[in-house]
Amino acid sequence: MIKRLFLLAGFACLVASAATAQGILGGHVTGNVQLDAQVSHKDSVIGADDVPENLLMNARADILYTNGDFSAGLRFEMYQNPMLGFDPQYKGQGLANYFVAYNGSWLSVTAGNFYEQFGSGMILRTYEDRYLGLDNSLLGLNLTFRPWQGVTIKALAGRQRIFWSYGEGIVRGIDGEVNFNSIIKAMQDSKFRATLGASFVSKYEPDESIPSASDPEYRLNLPLNVGAAAVRADLGFGGLNLQAEYVRKGQDPSALNGYIYRPGEALLLDLSYSQRGFSASLQAKRIDNMGYKSVRSQSGEMLFINYLPAITKNHTYAFLTMYPYATQVNGEQGLQADVMYKFKKGTFLGGDYGMDMHVNSSVVATLNTTVTGGAGTEGYVVNSGIGDLFYGDASVELARKLSKTVKLNVTYAYQVFNPEAEGHSGLDLVHNNVVIADLSWKLNKKHSLRFEAEWMGSDSYYDATDQHHADRRYGDWMMGLVEWNIGTHWFVSASDQYAYNDGIGNYYNLSVGYTHGATRLQLGYGKQREGLLCIGGVCRPVPASNGLTFSLTTSF
Amino acid sequence: MKKILFAIISLLFAGSLMAQGAKLPENITLKSIDGQSVPSSAIQNDGKPVIISFWATWCKPCNRELNNIKEVYEEWQEETGVKLVAISIDDARSAARVKPHVDGNDWPYEVYLDQNSDLKRAMNVVNVPHTFILNGEGEIVWQHTGYQDGGEEEVIEKVRELVK
Repeated sequence: MIKRLFLLAGFACLVASAATAQGILGGHVTGNVQLDAQVSHKDSVIGADDVPENLLMNARADILYTNGDFSAGLRFEMYQNPMLGFDPQYKGQGLANYFVAYNGSWLSVTAGNFYEQFGSGMILRTYEDRYLGLDNSLLGLNLTFRPWQGVTIKALAGRQRIFWSYGEGIVRGIDGEVNFNSIIKAMQDSKFRATLGASFVSKYEPDESIPSASDPEYRLNLPLNVGAAAVRADLGFGGLNLQAEYVRKGQDPSALNGYIYRPGEALLLDLSYSQRGFSASLQAKRIDNMGYKSVRSQSGEMLFINYLPAITKNHTYAFLTMYPYATQVNGEQGLQADVMYKFKKGTFLGGDYGMDMHVNSSVVATLNTTVTGGAGTEGYVVNSGIGDLFYGDASVELARKLSKTVKLNVTYAYQVFNPEAEGHSGLDLVHNNVVIADLSWKLNKKHSLRFEAEWMGSDSYYDATDQHHADRRYGDWMMGLVEWNIGTHWFVSASDQYAYNDGIGNYYNLSVGYTHGATRLQLGYGKQREGLLCIGGVCRPVPASNGLTFSLTTSF
Repeated sequence: MKKILFAIISLLFAGSLMAQGAKLPENITLKSIDGQSVPSSAIQNDGKPVIISFWATWCKPCNRELNNIKEVYEEWQEETGVKLVAISIDDARSAARVKPHVDGNDWPYEVYLDQNSDLKRAMNVVNVPHTFILNGEGEIVWQHTGYQDGGEEEVIEKVRELVK
C-alpha cells in the first residue's frame, strides 16, 4: 500500500514536471519531505525502556501543485512505528491531508483540510506541529472574502482531525476584521493605526449519557451546540501599540473541566512601546475555563478548537527549558514584561561594537477559586486575589561582540516552578538559578566554533526511592557543548549534561549535520533526558532514549 | 524498504527538476508590522532580487543571521539593489512582540507576519531559518535551510550572480 502510494506520488510528480517543462499544464509542483528515525536501547540509569521494534520511524511528504490562483495539495504520513513520545494512535500510514484551493484577490476558497486562525487564536486556531505530533486541521470548507481593501471576512465549517480519523463534532465559525487605515482615506498616512475584529464560533455534537455528580441516577442535560464569541482590537500610535482580545464561551461541560456548566472566558492584553534600539512590552492574560474542544469527551492535546498561548518567554537554552510552562486551560492568570536595549558602540557598556541587553520576567498563578460542586453544577466561583503560584522567571541576557571574530552571550535566569502545573500536587516549589555562557568564534572564512556552558543550581534533589524527589530533572546540573561549523554545509557537535550531585549519569550527545540548499541531514548518537517537549506553550512528554537518531528534511 | 527509499529519491529528483521557475505565491495574506493586511504579491523590488528570510523571535540562528546581515546590508543594497524581506512565523504567544523585537534590534528590513503559517506552508518551509532568493521576475532561484556563521556570504554571492 505504502510503496504503491509513494511510487504513485513520485510518478505523478514526474508527469507533472515533464508537463510543466513543456508548458502544457503551466503549473508548478513543489513540496517537502521529512524522515526521522530512531534506534533506542534500554538504559535503566536514565530510565530508557527497551524498544522491541529496534527502529522507530516517522515520515511525511507534502506535495503542492500550484497553477496561478489555483492550488491543490496532498500530505502522506507514516509512523512505523511512532517515535518515542508520539501517541501510539498515530501508528500506520496514509493520506493525512488533502485540499484544493482557489486564491483570488477578493475571494479565497479551500475545500479539504485547512488551517485557519481567528484573531490571536483564543477562539479558533487549527494548526499542526509536526514535532509535537499535533494536528487539529479542519476537514471542510473555508472561505475568505476581501470585498474592499482593509476588510476581511472569513467563514468556515468542518470536522477536526484526530490521528487517522475525524472527530464527531462539527465546527462552524465566522470572523470579520476591519483595518481603518485602509478604508478611511484621511487615516491612510495617520500616525494612529486601528484594526478591529470580531468572531463567532459554534460546535455541534450529538447527545450522550454523562451521569450527574450529585445523583448518578440522573444524566446531564448536555448542550448540543456550544457557542463562543470574541472581540479584538489592535491599536497603534507611533511606537506605541496595544493589542487586546476578549473571548467568552457558553456552557461547555466536558471531560477537560469535569463536566461543569460554568461559562468560559479569556482575556489577552499586550501593550508595547518601541523605537530604534529600544523596546518594552507588558503582557497580561487571564483564562477561566476556556478549554474548547470539538469532542467533549476528549482530554489530552487533540481536538482543541482554540489555542491559549503561554505567557512566558519561549526559552531555547537546554536548562531554561527543563522546567517548561504550559497553559492551564481550566484557569490561570499571568503577567510578562520584556525589555530590549542596545547600548551604542563607543559608550562604556557598548564597547567597540555595541551590546544588546534583553530582560524578561513572567509570573503565572491559578485563579483563586472556591469549588461549589461537581459534574452538572457551575463547578466553582472565582474570588478576588490570586491563587497558587505556578511559574515565575526572570532573566537577563547580554550579547556583545568582543572582537571582530568573537561574540559572547551571557544569560542569568531565576526560575520558580510548581510541580502542580504538570499535575503533581503536594510537592514543594522548585527554585533554580541558571547561568549560561555562549561564545562563538569565527576562525576564518570557512570555520567557526561555538562553545556553550550552562549551570543550574536547584533547591530540589533527586532520590529514586522517594516519590517526592523521583523526578530526574531534580538537583544541580552542568553542561558543556562544542559545535564546529565547516563552511555552510557541515557541522559537528558534542555535548554533555551532567547532574553532578545525584549520580543519575551523563547525558552525552554527538551530532553531525549536512545542509545543502533546502536539504538537511542530521545524525546523532547519545542519551536524551525524559522530559517535556514544548512548542508555543503546548507540551508533550518525551520518554528517555538512548541511541541513534537520524533526520532528513528537504524542500523543493 | 528499498522501494520506499527509491520512491523518495525519485520524488526528490522529480522535485529538483521542477524547482526551476516556481514563483512566489500570490494572494496569500500577510500582516504588515503595522497591522495591515498585505497580499504576498506585494513582496517585490522593482525588478531587482529579493531575499526572503523566514524567522521567529525565539529562533537563535534566525536572529544571528538577521543581525549578521544587518552589518553588511547597506553595502549589499548599494552594490546589488537587493532587498531583504523578513517573514515572522511567530504565533499568538509572541506575535505581539515582533514589532518591539524588530525595533529593539534596529533591523532595517521589510517585515511581515505570517501568524497562520500560510506562506510558510505554501513555500514548503519546514524549519526556520529558511532563506529564499527571488530574481527580478519573482521566481525562486535559490533556497537554503538553517544558518551557520558566514552563511550570508553564500547569499550575496547568489544575488551578485543575478545582477551581473
